[in-house]
Amino acid sequence: MNITQILFWFLSVLALVSALMVLLSKNPVHSVLWLIVVFFAISGHYILLNAQFLAIVNLIVYAGAIMVLFLFVIMLMNLSADTEPQKNVWMKLAGTIAGGCFLISTCNIVYNAQNVSQEIAGKTALLNQGNIGLIGNLGKVLFKDYVVPFEISSVLFLSAMVGAVVIGKKEKSNV
Amino acid sequence: MNAIIFSALLGVVMMFSGILTTNKQAIKNIALVCLTLLLVANLANHYEWYSIKIDTKQMFSFGKYGYFFNTIAITATLLYVFVSGDDIVKVGSYGAEYFALIFFVLCGVTILSSYNNLLMLFLGIEIMTIPLYILTGSDKKNLHSNEAALKYFLMGAFSTGIMLMGIALLYGSSGSFGIESIVNNTSITLMKVPILEVIGLMFVFVSMLFKVSAAPFHFWTPDVYDGAPSVFTSFMATIVKSAGFIALITLFANKSEELGKLWNILLVIVIIATLLVGNITAVFQQSVKRMLAYSSIAQAGFMLFALYSRNEIARDGILLYTTAYSLATIGTFAILIKMEDHSLDGYNGLAKSQPLLAATQTIFLFSLAGIPLTAGFFAKYFMLASVIRTGGNAAIYLVIIGVLFAAVSLYYYFKVIQAMYFKEGNAATTKITPSFKFALLLLAFLIILFGVMPDALLGLFYF
Repeated sequence: MNITQILFWFLSVLALVSALMVLLSKNPVHSVLWLIVVFFAISGHYILLNAQFLAIVNLIVYAGAIMVLFLFVIMLMNLSADTEPQKNVWMKLAGTIAGGCFLISTCNIVYNAQNVSQEIAGKTALLNQGNIGLIGNLGKVLFKDYVVPFEISSVLFLSAMVGAVVIGKKEKSNV
Repeated sequence: MNAIIFSALLGVVMMFSGILTTNKQAIKNIALVCLTLLLVANLANHYEWYSIKIDTKQMFSFGKYGYFFNTIAITATLLYVFVSGDDIVKVGSYGAEYFALIFFVLCGVTILSSYNNLLMLFLGIEIMTIPLYILTGSDKKNLHSNEAALKYFLMGAFSTGIMLMGIALLYGSSGSFGIESIVNNTSITLMKVPILEVIGLMFVFVSMLFKVSAAPFHFWTPDVYDGAPSVFTSFMATIVKSAGFIALITLFANKSEELGKLWNILLVIVIIATLLVGNITAVFQQSVKRMLAYSSIAQAGFMLFALYSRNEIARDGILLYTTAYSLATIGTFAILIKMEDHSLDGYNGLAKSQPLLAATQTIFLFSLAGIPLTAGFFAKYFMLASVIRTGGNAAIYLVIIGVLFAAVSLYYYFKVIQAMYFKEGNAATTKITPSFKFALLLLAFLIILFGVMPDALLGLFYF
């Protein structure tokens, strides 16, 4: 076992264990913290797969921004282990079916992938290969083929910023 | 391309002019100058003079049609600021920023008039709607305005989500964001259904119907139009709505052959539902503002005729329709803003106290209803003619239904005229300036001009 394989197994176990802990821990704040660990582990996987950009974005957006938002919501709603609302049977059933469907389709993809190409048959993951996820390549596509939408989206952000100021700032009293 | 670049830049100019001056009259004048500059920039494009030549990598397909729509949209905005500019700066203490947001909306409009890529469609729609959420909520002390902004934002965000899902599915099926690739690959027939593309197109269609407030996705319209400050309702109901239609037509129009029967059945259902809901509900409204909101749904139904027929007449007709509808609606709202009481009774006896306002209002309402000698008549005529041109029994029935509902619309438009001329009352208005009267006369003159010779407008397109 070389170092990448060791890393792969370590990250996989970490991701699975912390994903389970998200579901099993009673305190919602702990759940969110475990979820952050899951995101870190998955980002590690992305780096092993040579997808640097995805790894960074995953950390910044999910582990950073969205999880902070989750924490805020939980703190504002003052949820804790004893105030956790009781879920009814239908909700549980719907969740099981939805999750089960996802599991089936994922298993199907893995199963089919083995048949499609001999190259990947029998391998757990293709590590350290491919360059499609490298930041350099992404930048080239972004600034060559998609430069117009990239530039135009600046108008969108500018208008959102102006809007935030207009909505957020106090009305002057002398009007 | 000029219009896109300049509308964004001039928006920034407007934004910074707020630092230099807080004089409301000055801000309005700067906005008028900037809009004129934008118009000149767009016309320059028309005459093939480019500020910067950019290889847009198939993101846009610029053509005369798009430029001409830009000209109409920018001119309409110019007239709108000319008529209601004083009321825009009165909404809150950030006059310059409101104008900046209007410029950003125009940037979205100009993108939508010539996009060639689903990515640009999405960006255009977003650039157009996000400033509108803010303008809707700009009257911060008014609870109705806040409610309207929140409703509009939540519903709009959902519909944008649906559109993104649709675009993702289309990308998944064709491997490209270009709109041509959809056109060539799609054939919605019962025999062989490319499932991903059909679902994707339906999602995009649903989301676009939401943006143009066609039934059954119209539920946000009355509340938002009613709650938003009247000046911004006027902008939303005219220029923005027309841009939505142009986007819809660009997306779906050039595949008349590929799209099968199912598509037409779907469109007929949507058109009839929109006409029915808009017209019938408008009859029962007591508030003129709310009545106009429903009437804008009804007018959307008429504009959808262009999507049904997808031929040359429809392409010209939608330009005429947006012009006629925009001019009349801008005028009607401009007068509505000046009224103290927005209910129907508030118009009682307006002809006595303000004869000019009543007379121009009558012309605007005639045009909205489609009475001959006003621009609205030829707008409706072109729409119906384009449907007739498609041939078949369905077209005839559709035209009959359209005419019937146009007759229904006469009833509620004439209720306002009746209140103004034949009812006793004391219609109170805020101060009317001579320049406001002049602007109204200009609007009325344009409506009559395009009503007498619609070629004057369409001729400009083919010069």
